Amino acid sequence: MNLQRKMLLIRLIEDRLQTLCREGLAGDLHFNKGQEAIAVGVCAALQPSDKIATHHRTIAHYLSKLPDTTPEHIYPLIAELLGRNTGINGGRAGEMHISNHTIGYEFSFQLVGTCLPVATGIAWALKHFHKTRDIVACFFGDAASSNGQFHEACTIAAVQKVPLLLVCENNGRAGNITKEYYMPPAIECVSERMSAYGIPSWRIPGQDVEFVKSEAESAASLVRETGCPLLLEITVERLCHHKQGQGDIRTKEELAEASLRDPLLELDKKTRKQWTEEINAELDPVFAKALADPVADLEIL
Amino acid sequence: MKDPFYRNHLIRDAIHKAILEKMRVNPRVVIVGEGAHMKVHYDAPDIEKEFSERIVTLPISEGANTDFSLGLAIGGMVPIVDIITADFMLRAFDSICNTCAKHATVAEPHTMVIRGEFLTGGPTTGQRIESLFCHIPGLRVVLPCCAVDAYDLMLEALEYKGVTVFFEDRMISDEGAPEFSRILPGKARIYGSRQSKLTVVTYGLSTMWMHGFEHRTGIDFEHIDLRTLYPIDFETILRSVARTRRLLIVEPDTLYMGIGSEIAARVCVMSDVKIARCGAKRTVLPVTEGERVFPDKELIRSFMTDMVEA
Repeated sequence: MNLQRKMLLIRLIEDRLQTLCREGLAGDLHFNKGQEAIAVGVCAALQPSDKIATHHRTIAHYLSKLPDTTPEHIYPLIAELLGRNTGINGGRAGEMHISNHTIGYEFSFQLVGTCLPVATGIAWALKHFHKTRDIVACFFGDAASSNGQFHEACTIAAVQKVPLLLVCENNGRAGNITKEYYMPPAIECVSERMSAYGIPSWRIPGQDVEFVKSEAESAASLVRETGCPLLLEITVERLCHHKQGQGDIRTKEELAEASLRDPLLELDKKTRKQWTEEINAELDPVFAKALADPVADLEIL
Repeated sequence: MKDPFYRNHLIRDAIHKAILEKMRVNPRVVIVGEGAHMKVHYDAPDIEKEFSERIVTLPISEGANTDFSLGLAIGGMVPIVDIITADFMLRAFDSICNTCAKHATVAEPHTMVIRGEFLTGGPTTGQRIESLFCHIPGLRVVLPCCAVDAYDLMLEALEYKGVTVFFEDRMISDEGAPEFSRILPGKARIYGSRQSKLTVVTYGLSTMWMHGFEHRTGIDFEHIDLRTLYPIDFETILRSVARTRRLLIVEPDTLYMGIGSEIAARVCVMSDVKIARCGAKRTVLPVTEGERVFPDKELIRSFMTDMVEA
């Protein structure tokens, strides 16, 4: 699928979910609005057999890793997000703990930083046990870099020399908190932290999906060739609230300025309108079916 | 006190025997953690010799090491995470209870074993934490009292589809460890006099305390050693108590909110059953003479006398 169209698909699915949140038909979800080019661009740069692990903002990553985005393959995701027993993980995972081994979407987790050491372990198994040339891409936010799990994972990844592509989605905030509260004043960005681990890194803007893809291809092939970790830091604006239902401390002016960096601005209006109609026609029955499904079973453990 | 690192080999040897046998038939089994190599080097040289490439030594990062091991499990391996001391598991509490336990509930469960030992003295080298893990959905908790159980429970853990928290009680000395024959997986061990008027439930260290206690006290009892703390074999307990109508629970954990409180709550719905519990004081384990924390033998004897004479 065309990368712009995939970003639009993500945006339209999240818009629908947002409406359901407001109507009380879905829990308060974490959306990717403004950050779509990272998930779409990086996953387009990966091989189908490569794996990904990610944080709590999962919708864009799942749809980006999904090789086939026809309605029947989107449906289990929507059912999962709505807590239905027909979902990918039986509706028990909800939005933040999705995993689907069959498409290489191995892990996502609510707690900030957790995906990093888990992804390191997955990469270890690929290289040292299965002895493949596959790599793991792990998505995390800049705020996670102040969590102990980040430092521990980077240390283990460097020591164990695992094929891990660290993808930092730098949106400059931790929920509503801005970076002066979590980044040391002398540190400009996460890439600067990587010299402490001897992990190479570089930083790029995240608005142009084709550019993100091309940079991610370079990064992924370096990881594949060396079998060692590397960080690609991508700066973006999150154009939605941290979480649906939560306030946003940014002013209208600040949000308007941020929206100038919307990755979908490059899409011309005519194409956007046509694709929107086509995608919405496909999504109508997907959402109707998922909403009619039974909720998740309770399993006594 | 003898240095615990140089004693208590029976249980450790049995655990390593089970691990070695499993490693021979399953190439996916790996030993992971901050002490992985050091412990194998001293305690299981056969494993070091045969499978050195499957011993993954990691930094002193208990939480990340446990998360890393879940990654290995997702990647198709069977990790045994060696956290060394049970107290250190609290540094991996998030990883064990959130990451590993909850991933097992939303995705297809992976086999994982997380090991820790109760050492013998000091504020953070021997505190009992087993009941904390029993409270968490997604975890199975085991604590062997003897070599044969250590071997069987480790083999079970390496077969079980899910996460097993595996405790070792270093206070059980080789000299005092009871010798038993093998029993069915998942069952508690029950032995002693079927004509007695008292059921005594124990596990781990307290099984050792009570083993042979009838000879010293002259009070017969039916003895149940739990072996597995989650899930508890309530069927065996209820069947015994239905006959004796008297239940004494002797536990090595802090009495307050310990394993025994759950058992007492289950049994108290049976009318006319007398229940008593004794366990560790709510205090820190002293650096020396740690036994002062536990109920002394006279106290246990007086509980038993009160119950059978009442």
